[in-house]
Amino acid sequence: MPLIIDRTPVAEDKWITLEEDQAIPADGAVILPLAQWLENRETLAGREVGVQVNGDDDLEQVLTLNGQVELIAVEFPAFTDGRGFSIARLLRRAGYKGQIRAVGDVTRDRLAHLERCGFDALLVPEDRYTPDVLNAFEEVSVRYQGGASITRPAYPQS
Amino acid sequence: MYQYTEVDQKLVDERVAQYRDQTRRYLAGELPDEEFRALRLMNGLYIQRQAPMLRVAVPYGLLSSTQLRKLAHIARTYDKGYGHFTTRTNIQYNWPTLESVPDILAELAEVQMHAIQTSGNCIRNTTTDPYAGVIASELEDPRPWCEIIRQWSTLHPEFAYLPRKFKIAVTGGPEDRAASQVHDIGLHLVKNDAGETGFEVLVGGGLGRTPVIGKQINPFLNPQDLLSYLEAIIRVYNLNGRRDNKYKARIKILVNTMGIDTFREQVEAEWAEIRESDLRLSQDEIDKVKAQFAPPAYAADAADSNLDALLAQNDDFRAWYERNTVEHKVPGYRIVVVSLKPYLKAPGDITDLQMEAVADLADRYSFGEIRATHHQNLVLADVKQSDLHEVWNSLNANNLARPNIGTLTDMIVCPGFDFCGLANAKTLNIAEQINEKFENVDYLHDVGEVRLNMSGCINACAHHHVGHIGILGVDKKGEDWYQFTLGGSSEAEASLGKVLGKAIAADEVANTIETILLTYIDQRDSEAESFLEVVRRVGVEPFKEAVYAADH
Repeated sequence: MPLIIDRTPVAEDKWITLEEDQAIPADGAVILPLAQWLENRETLAGREVGVQVNGDDDLEQVLTLNGQVELIAVEFPAFTDGRGFSIARLLRRAGYKGQIRAVGDVTRDRLAHLERCGFDALLVPEDRYTPDVLNAFEEVSVRYQGGASITRPAYPQS
Repeated sequence: MYQYTEVDQKLVDERVAQYRDQTRRYLAGELPDEEFRALRLMNGLYIQRQAPMLRVAVPYGLLSSTQLRKLAHIARTYDKGYGHFTTRTNIQYNWPTLESVPDILAELAEVQMHAIQTSGNCIRNTTTDPYAGVIASELEDPRPWCEIIRQWSTLHPEFAYLPRKFKIAVTGGPEDRAASQVHDIGLHLVKNDAGETGFEVLVGGGLGRTPVIGKQINPFLNPQDLLSYLEAIIRVYNLNGRRDNKYKARIKILVNTMGIDTFREQVEAEWAEIRESDLRLSQDEIDKVKAQFAPPAYAADAADSNLDALLAQNDDFRAWYERNTVEHKVPGYRIVVVSLKPYLKAPGDITDLQMEAVADLADRYSFGEIRATHHQNLVLADVKQSDLHEVWNSLNANNLARPNIGTLTDMIVCPGFDFCGLANAKTLNIAEQINEKFENVDYLHDVGEVRLNMSGCINACAHHHVGHIGILGVDKKGEDWYQFTLGGSSEAEASLGKVLGKAIAADEVANTIETILLTYIDQRDSEAESFLEVVRRVGVEPFKEAVYAADH
């Protein structure tokens, strides 16, 4: 699946995403569902670990991932489900410095909003990716609101 | 009124280009139906029974004459020569083609207008009092705050995919002409004990399937904290509102489920994190926006000693003056309500020629500005007494001076089954039936203030729950029937109407209203006791007995 990191398509992705009941491989960088990580966190200590969360997960638990894992994948089960935007905002506000990756229904017309909310990695489904999706970031350059990276909103300008 | 800066203009221009590309991709088959649906809705485009419907934003109901002329041009060029003003003070076009919408948006952008967030599960147009800035009872003009909210909520990256639509209304004083208590958030400018001005904040009001009056979440919010507080409320809602059932997705359901106290705790906890941030408005920023709403240069000699004589000479002029004009806070001026409820026309509809006539009147007599109202009329807010007779003549010539403001035929009516894909029953034919029955103006004036709101389905776009008389169209085995509620109000002491009884057949609606009004006249203590006051005092029982008497 095409992966965009910091507005640039990347060919290599070291991360392997595991399903709920999938066995954890002996090595390599893995992304686990939150429940799996909570169960196996001690045995995974010292490894490159990412955790996948979504809006149904307990927000307190999601926020405690800050400082504990190198990647947090936030799932968009449907493009109308906007909880992930707030989750990313809150993670960045909490000081999370790792990769925040949008997965699931991640398509062109949401990429700019996702970036502004703190996502640096965007996993776009194969059938929805064309090189021109990268134009999405600059379609609207005016920001009335602050965001994850630039807090200063534009409204004082008017 | 507020004039766009370069930043504001750039945003609407870029948005037009973005939407043009979204339309192109959809027509080229690159964008799935479902996804384009969400995108077009966020730009006000519905696909309805007959054709697409485009809803254009009129932020807090304020228009310049230039903007109104542009709306007339769009009606003539892209539609069938008319538009329809809504309860959110926006204007809808019923007949544009999907392909022409990007061009319409480009035309709107030329006059600092847009269709951003007029639909979709995002923050909608903020509404306010149509008498803002000109009514003596207000503490402060609410429109600068509406403009600040407009900017903050426009293309908000975090809140574009909320569980459901989100509506905010602001009032500037104790009178509520914006139905703020049935909004997701209602903001009331109030004074605290120290004499400072701030906002009372209500949350979780709404109509639709589950009508609820908003609950107070904060008795006094410092105005500088407005945006951080709104952001905290909407973030809590975005994370916790239901997404499994669209009929339970509004914030009112979340507030009711959590309880207002728990909801408030969550909002306050979130607010504590962001209160001291760049969301805090500096006094300098507030003052800059306020300066754009400074009062116009009122003339000291506006009062007209001849007015009383004209009123005495001409009964029609006097009836209009008494019903369709309102006291202005500046002596010598009057607020004029332009009735968009002429005889046998769809409530809220206005033709291109009428729009141009109103724009001309605004230029000549009212500082070039027009307001749209929640009751689907227009307002010329600053007319000199000495100009009233000419304004009346001109409105009359354009079928815009029916003296019915606040009376039964000043109905709020949604477009109903004739246009809307959601409606279960027709409304426009019933509005006609009511118009025919109650053509006699003297009779209506004797009955006095009655708010009749009629919706064609349970989504309640015409706010039937808060009509003094509410009518809800329902479909029963393929026939249109109408459920009545009595005693609702969206004003200062808001209340939800109580059901009268079983639904009424389509051809009996006007007769039923007549029975209700006769019962009111019979029950009232004096002419001073309004319909709403009588219903509140005696309850629905006497009305029920009168209406369903034949069944006994």
